[in-house]
Amino acid sequence: MPFVNFATREINCKIVYYGPGLSGKTTNIKWIYDHIKPENRGEMITLATETERTLFFDFVPIEVSNVKGFKVRFHLYTTPGQIIYQASRKLILKGVDGIVFVADSQEERHDANLDTLDDMIENLKDYEIDIEDIPLVFQYNKRDLPNVLPVEVLRKDLNRWSRPDYEAIASKGIGVLETFKEITKQVLRKLKR
Amino acid sequence: MLNLRPEEDKELKEILTNIAEESKSKIVLLIDKSGQLISRSESPAFSSDDVTFASLTAGNVAASEALSKLLGDKSLNHMFTETEDEGIYMIVVAEKYILVSIFDKYATNLGIIRVKIKKYYDKLEGLMKRIEERAEKESSMPADINIEDIDLDTLFE
Repeated sequence: MPFVNFATREINCKIVYYGPGLSGKTTNIKWIYDHIKPENRGEMITLATETERTLFFDFVPIEVSNVKGFKVRFHLYTTPGQIIYQASRKLILKGVDGIVFVADSQEERHDANLDTLDDMIENLKDYEIDIEDIPLVFQYNKRDLPNVLPVEVLRKDLNRWSRPDYEAIASKGIGVLETFKEITKQVLRKLKR
Repeated sequence: MLNLRPEEDKELKEILTNIAEESKSKIVLLIDKSGQLISRSESPAFSSDDVTFASLTAGNVAASEALSKLLGDKSLNHMFTETEDEGIYMIVVAEKYILVSIFDKYATNLGIIRVKIKKYYDKLEGLMKRIEERAEKESSMPADINIEDIDLDTLFE
């Protein structure tokens, strides 16, 4: 749920990066955090296990100042990808305004992509959010690895709603910014309606 | 979509500031359950990043609510976290919001915090419901903002 404060002139939106374990959700927001000007970002919070797998969530607030005197703040979250953290994923979707689905392009991870997408749709249903209505972007990550599926296959199996999608190598920052710009654009456009 | 008009923000800030002053809290914050900071008392003592604090508080409450459901309880009403010098008391308001008091354990205590929050709870709950009802009836995006005005390229180095 976006929140607009006309007294402090702030607009707040919540964007969640969703996808299977090790698909690169944290890498995406870490890249954004590392490349954004320090004055435009808040503190990055990572609740991770000892092996650096996301345990609960990662969080980065990003601020765009002076949009007609308003400050627009995007709260970026990632969910934990591993199957056992289903409950956490649902909690983080609460009040979501836009979703980036980060898919792992490797053939052997495709079942995990499909399972996670089903899991996301179910979780959204529980919050009475229709996937047709929510701003959504697909990212096919890890395009530099061997054994990746053709984009056409990923698109057909995952992007059933013909939403914007991007190929990415998040570890090198390829496709990261494009994905972020597209989701923020969709979220703001929906807010305007 | 929730939005806050300047007069409502003032009213809200006044309630939070009254709770903070009367309970001798360092700061009192109102957060929504999705992790966004709605308002805060006029308190200079809080030095941390309140946006990050709001996100972690919502995560904390969500996890505790899930724990409470696992134990067979319906929901979570309030929780208390203690650090070496400070207490953090959180109470759920109108099922959607979290009121948080951060206090110095040597300046006040949990009992006083709870009594003072109780004094203002109904007023706060009523105000939030009134804001929600008003916000539902109107568009909340500032009319003069155009998404084309937002240049995300300038954010990056």
